[in-house]
Amino acid sequence: MRYISIFFQYVAQYMKTRLTYRVDMVIEIMSDLLFQAVNLVFILVVFSHTQFLSGWTRDEIIFIYGFFLVPYAIFGAFFNIWDFNERYIVKGELDRILTRPIHSLFQIILERMELESLFGVITGVAIMFYAGGRLDLTVSWYDPFIFVMMVLGGAAVYAGIFILLACISFWSDSRTSIMPMMYNIGNYGRYPVDIYNNVIRFVLTWILPFAFVGVYPSAYFLGREEWYNYAFLTPFVGIACLSISVVVWNIGVTKYRGAGN
Amino acid sequence: MENIIHVEQLRKEFKSYSSRSGLKGAFRDLFTRNYKIMPAVNDISFQVQPGEMVGYIGENGAGKSTSIKMLTGILTPTSGMVSVNGMNPHKERERFVQTIGVVFGQRSQLWWDIAVQESFRLLKKVYNVSDQAYKDHMEHVIESLDIGPLLDKPVRKLSLGQRMRCELAAALLHNPTLLFLDEPTIGLDVLVKLKIRNFLKEMNERYNTTILLTTHDLSDIEALCDRVIMLDEGSVIYDGKLAQLRSNWGEGKQIQFQFADSNITELKLSMVCNELPVEWVQGNRNNIWIASVKNDESVISALIGKVVAAHKITDIKIQEITTEEIIRNIYEEGIVYG
Repeated sequence: MRYISIFFQYVAQYMKTRLTYRVDMVIEIMSDLLFQAVNLVFILVVFSHTQFLSGWTRDEIIFIYGFFLVPYAIFGAFFNIWDFNERYIVKGELDRILTRPIHSLFQIILERMELESLFGVITGVAIMFYAGGRLDLTVSWYDPFIFVMMVLGGAAVYAGIFILLACISFWSDSRTSIMPMMYNIGNYGRYPVDIYNNVIRFVLTWILPFAFVGVYPSAYFLGREEWYNYAFLTPFVGIACLSISVVVWNIGVTKYRGAGN
Repeated sequence: MENIIHVEQLRKEFKSYSSRSGLKGAFRDLFTRNYKIMPAVNDISFQVQPGEMVGYIGENGAGKSTSIKMLTGILTPTSGMVSVNGMNPHKERERFVQTIGVVFGQRSQLWWDIAVQESFRLLKKVYNVSDQAYKDHMEHVIESLDIGPLLDKPVRKLSLGQRMRCELAAALLHNPTLLFLDEPTIGLDVLVKLKIRNFLKEMNERYNTTILLTTHDLSDIEALCDRVIMLDEGSVIYDGKLAQLRSNWGEGKQIQFQFADSNITELKLSMVCNELPVEWVQGNRNNIWIASVKNDESVISALIGKVVAAHKITDIKIQEITTEEIIRNIYEEGIVYG
């Protein structure tokens, strides 16, 4: 309860600061939208040559892309921890975090949030409606609830993986280039996994479960019953990823060596 | 009285590996590494009672920061016992930090681009301070630190002195019983330093706040602390009254003579005052000599009388040994007598 009220306090403060830099904010939103448009164009270009990709139609793939944008936007808004090593470990900012009476990971989430990313949710939903309309998908009353669960599960998968990567810094203070690589791998999750070979598919499902951010949950909404088992695993995989990462984080904090000053 | 800080055999080791030289060495490092275990804090023990103001001093790398970080719950000790405010700082971190205030001089607690009062508001929420408690306590703090006019300015527009005063206020927002200050006056001018010292004294008197202060500026310690804990290479080498340190080490006086004749030698000088207990050291010019003697009127008068009678002088100064010199001496010799 206290955490929720602190959360809103930070959000309010964040909006206030952001509104004082109006130009900055507009540019950021624009570049975000542009980035997504480029991605969409890429998909359209691929499909201008073929209509099917191992049994998936163009519209289905666009739908998956649209869905992927939603959990990804939530992840982007709250888990900006890609520079955790440099900012908090090397510069020693974690010292300050650790002298305050709130969970350290929660504080970092609050400090690093970028709410502009949430506009991605709108883009994603719009793309889904566009693709869904062309596919004649029907929406039942419980679908919005399932959608929310799937989205939260997907965002938790993403968050869990990136928190785990950030935790590496607690043990090794050298800089690694693993974060950007992981962003690339993360993008594979938004294409149907059966276009990849079995090894990659296994990795994307069980080791770095990015497939649970895009393909698997979308398969439910697309009515692809052969994937339903995976689709309904999404929230559980999300919870598992996030819990493991928080446990590892808590162990990692005790290994923190501090920056010399 | 119950101890507010109780440290027993506290130790922190850091594992570091030494890299071999050259390209060949780098390849070997890939497979086997030479790890070295370095104790940064080496089995220290001490206690602090409520209301004490303790100076925590030591050279760079003596283990001050590391031990402060263990006391504040940032680092986990390798071994040993720490109890601060009756809690184990690292085990119960979130509950524990609610009872302490921390100022790291080189690191800001405040949010860089929001107004100071907004930072205070966030911290008030973070520390769960009620409106009434905030009003009672902070009005006084803001007034004594004289930061009222700064409250609506963003932190990045403040000068270092202004920022430091705001940092101090932020650290006291939840009225902690124990305050850790790490280099709070670094880079500040004399006036701001004085203001901060007076404020700390006042907090100590009014709320019986215990203060643990590390600094390289010994005048801070002299002005504030009765007790000093001195660290060297990870161990406590002195723990006691500052006054006692002075009287054991600084009981002598130094008399500096500037002679008209630049051919003066130690031999000539010791011939003049052969029966007096005095040590001569050459100053920074060859006609300047410094005599160290006991703080005893008859010796001092006799020495001056004899030297002045035998050689022409152009200047004379009598100095007491400063704390800084005492501490430098201690570090050079590495141990404390008495």
